[in-house]
Amino acid sequence: MTEPPVIQAINLVKIYQTGGVPVPAIRGVDLTVNPGEFVAIMGPSGSGKSTLIHLLGGLDTRTSGEIWLDGQRVDTLSESAWALLRRQKIGFVFQFFNLVANMTVADNVELPALLGGASPKVARERREYLLAELGLADRAGVSPAQLSGGEQQRVALARALANHPRLLLADEPTGNLDSRNTRDVLRLLSEVHRKGQTIVLVTHDARVAGMADRVVYLLDGQIVDDGPVAGVRRRIGGTAGDVVELRG
Amino acid sequence: MISWRGAEGRWIRADLRARRGEALLTVLTVAGIVAALIIAATLLEERTNPWRGLFERSRSAHIWIHSKDVPDVQALARLHGVTDVAGPYRSAPATLIHRGRRVPISLQEAPATPPAVARPLVREGGWLDPRTPGGVVVERSFARSLGLRPGDPFTVTGLNGATHALVVAGLAESGDQGFYPEWAPGLAWALGETLTTVEPAPGRTETVTGLRLGDPELTDLVVQRAVFTLRGQVQRVTTWREVRASMELDNRLLGLLLGLFGGAGLVAAALALANASGGRVLTQRRDIATLKSLGFTRGQVVRMLVAEHGALGFAGIGLGVAAAWLITVYALEETVAAPLSAGALAAIVLGTALVVLVAVLIPAWRGGLTPPIPATPAAPPRGRLSRLARLALLVRLPPALVLGARDSFTRRTPALLTVCGVAIPMMMITIGLGVWATLDDFLRHPEKVGQAAALTARPGRLTAEEMRARVMADPDVVAAYPGAEVDALVPGQTRTVRTRALGTSRDPYPFPVAEGRMFRERGEAVAGQGLLDLLGVRIGDRVRVTIGGTPLIVRIVGRVIEPEQDGEVLSLGVDSLAAKDADPPQFYGLVLRPGTDPAEVRSRLQAHGLEVDQAVNPAERLAVIRVIIVALVVVLALIGLVDLLTVSAIGLRDHLLDLAVLKAMGLTPRQVMATLVTATALPAVAGILIGSSAGALSAKALIDLEGHGSGVGAGIGRAPAPGMLAAEVVIAIAAVLLVALVPARRAARARIPSVR
Repeated sequence: MTEPPVIQAINLVKIYQTGGVPVPAIRGVDLTVNPGEFVAIMGPSGSGKSTLIHLLGGLDTRTSGEIWLDGQRVDTLSESAWALLRRQKIGFVFQFFNLVANMTVADNVELPALLGGASPKVARERREYLLAELGLADRAGVSPAQLSGGEQQRVALARALANHPRLLLADEPTGNLDSRNTRDVLRLLSEVHRKGQTIVLVTHDARVAGMADRVVYLLDGQIVDDGPVAGVRRRIGGTAGDVVELRG
Repeated sequence: MISWRGAEGRWIRADLRARRGEALLTVLTVAGIVAALIIAATLLEERTNPWRGLFERSRSAHIWIHSKDVPDVQALARLHGVTDVAGPYRSAPATLIHRGRRVPISLQEAPATPPAVARPLVREGGWLDPRTPGGVVVERSFARSLGLRPGDPFTVTGLNGATHALVVAGLAESGDQGFYPEWAPGLAWALGETLTTVEPAPGRTETVTGLRLGDPELTDLVVQRAVFTLRGQVQRVTTWREVRASMELDNRLLGLLLGLFGGAGLVAAALALANASGGRVLTQRRDIATLKSLGFTRGQVVRMLVAEHGALGFAGIGLGVAAAWLITVYALEETVAAPLSAGALAAIVLGTALVVLVAVLIPAWRGGLTPPIPATPAAPPRGRLSRLARLALLVRLPPALVLGARDSFTRRTPALLTVCGVAIPMMMITIGLGVWATLDDFLRHPEKVGQAAALTARPGRLTAEEMRARVMADPDVVAAYPGAEVDALVPGQTRTVRTRALGTSRDPYPFPVAEGRMFRERGEAVAGQGLLDLLGVRIGDRVRVTIGGTPLIVRIVGRVIEPEQDGEVLSLGVDSLAAKDADPPQFYGLVLRPGTDPAEVRSRLQAHGLEVDQAVNPAERLAVIRVIIVALVVVLALIGLVDLLTVSAIGLRDHLLDLAVLKAMGLTPRQVMATLVTATALPAVAGILIGSSAGALSAKALIDLEGHGSGVGAGIGRAPAPGMLAAEVVIAIAAVLLVALVPARRAARARIPSVR
């Protein structure tokens, strides 16, 4: 029939216990993302967007509720088991890029492949392919500190895609970029999405959210709206006018 | 365990490349500690058992076979395990007469060119010369006890009663027999013709043959085979084990001191490594969280960190061993014959390796606990103004210093680690200075270690009356105490104990009494701590000793500081001894006028025909300790430096965000610099003050404890000289400020960092 949803959250709750006062960050969220979907999560500051995406990626543990990844229940996994799962199935892109500063761009992008058990030769080939796709082939031997914000985020994207993840999670990927770099990164994301990648993305920016298939609104830890974006732009095989608009 | 070609290996290599300087400093510190420990242990081993050095250098024989006739050398050489044969040499007993003393001597034949195996090491004078057939090389400890020098003539009486005049050609050391008088009779080497002259009858000589083995463990086997092969010719066999046992000195003081410094050095090293790797891991939390988000498991992270920091530690150990070997071979060639024995080396290497592992495991473990969310680093936990800062405000210190004071103790555990990490090396250095001051005190006040008499005069060619008269006539001699040194048998011990009779009971020698009182009458004595421990007696007990067959009961009334023989010496008045042992006195102990040069008086008296010896101050015997102290101070300073650099780096990183805010609020770069320097320097200075005061207070007590344990006796300890202490503290504080200043300056002048 249809494949199971890539990720599914059922009545997810997360309460932080810092000091004496418990802070509920997520209060009963139900979310289903099907393969190939591009979901944008929006909401004001403190609504729990980042917390939700950390929970979906296993970077944080939930207080109650269920999370299913590719038909497998994952919310009860240990930290190490989650790490092994992340290697194969999840790619992360952060707002502050989080590239390892000591390593070159090439090393950064090869790291997930090596971690997944690929030989150095295979990892190198994958890295060359990804960097070429993202237009960074000539920056392979450079240290991240010497790249601009947009280039760093593209490297982070390459790293996230290195292991062909089932799910790409992005936490405010354009939050730290100027408008031109934002456009570049967005274009890459939509290309990747066009090739079938499932993406869940957290953003403030309406322009970014407008690129998604579906927008989920969070307010105070609960979903208040979940619906498709007006589908004008998502036409495959668009006219010359669309191409001009994208590159503008 | 970890894949060096895979993801972990990439990260480790990239991290080490990024911080080459820090990594090198860590490696050098560990290398320094290991090298210092090895060299100190080597020196100690050489001092406490000279056998190894002598044996190696003289290529001595493992087995000496004494036989009546010349044995079948070919058959012996063919025995399995034998690599070389020394001899066979003829050996004849005789009696040596020198300055009225008659002493048995064993003359051994030796070739005109020193042999390759079992070669005596000539220390003074020269080897045998065919042109002077009367020349004889005497074994050094034997010569020393007789007072023989190169060029001295002496007479030898053969078994047939004929006397021959011989002269000392040189003094040599050998690893083939023990020191005189533990090993008797004394040995001298002579040319074959000289031997024949002294002992013409071949029936009264014996032959000694030495066998050098490839593997010393085969000694017993080879002895059995040799005895069997020679079928009844063998009269006696001695092996290297007996020689070694007889040469073993027991220098407990040196051993204890080394153990103390070594142990503390390892502890300080562990702290430094833990601090360095802990600090490094703390600055890497963001990266570790990123790695975890990529899929590194906790175990992987821990293994990776242990491998990285552990590799540095092990590299340091390897470098240290190599450096120590180089220094031993090239710089210490004179002092040390052989490198450290395998057992001690293994102990040092394994001990340091263990310390390295433990020191890096804890920060690695904590690094592994980092949550996988690489958010911006959490601000330091405290939100309130700490008590220290409030105090600073109260005292109206400039705001920069107040902020610095607040910052310095925001992270409790690292601040505490810093204080300890600086305090412990400071304490060790201060105690080292205390030991230095103690040694200086020995030199300046030799009477406090029992060397009030700088010279000892023996009769030589004169009679006892003449000697006394001559001695008292010298203008620089203030007092002359008659004395005798005899060996006493004590109950419960198989070996003898030295008994020193000096001065009379009414007019005793000024022994340095630490506890109890000086003896006043016949039958009373004082003893060193070592003797009290040996016999299990206390002050006030009676002890029965046998001297020269005569029993003697003395009551111990006091304890003296006794640096000789590890404190196992009984001291009493000459009149307490039986007349046969004490009269005439063997020697006189001479107390000189303060300020006179002992060497001058000595040469004066020797010109009159007396035999005069100069006392060797224990500080000179223990001179190697000064070298060890200097080496350890250097290493400890290195450790402290590593600690400081780490603290400085952490502090900077913690407060980078604060800096931006402070600058925005209007703090000038100089004020920012002052804040950072204060934050780093405050725990370090606290550590310096705590460490040096702890060291100064405990130095005397600790040294006394060492003294008690080593038999010399408590009462020798001195606190470090105030001048040296002040210099130490000032230099340390200056170093701290300098180390804190450089990165602070850089940070203060940098642009406001963007939030990343």
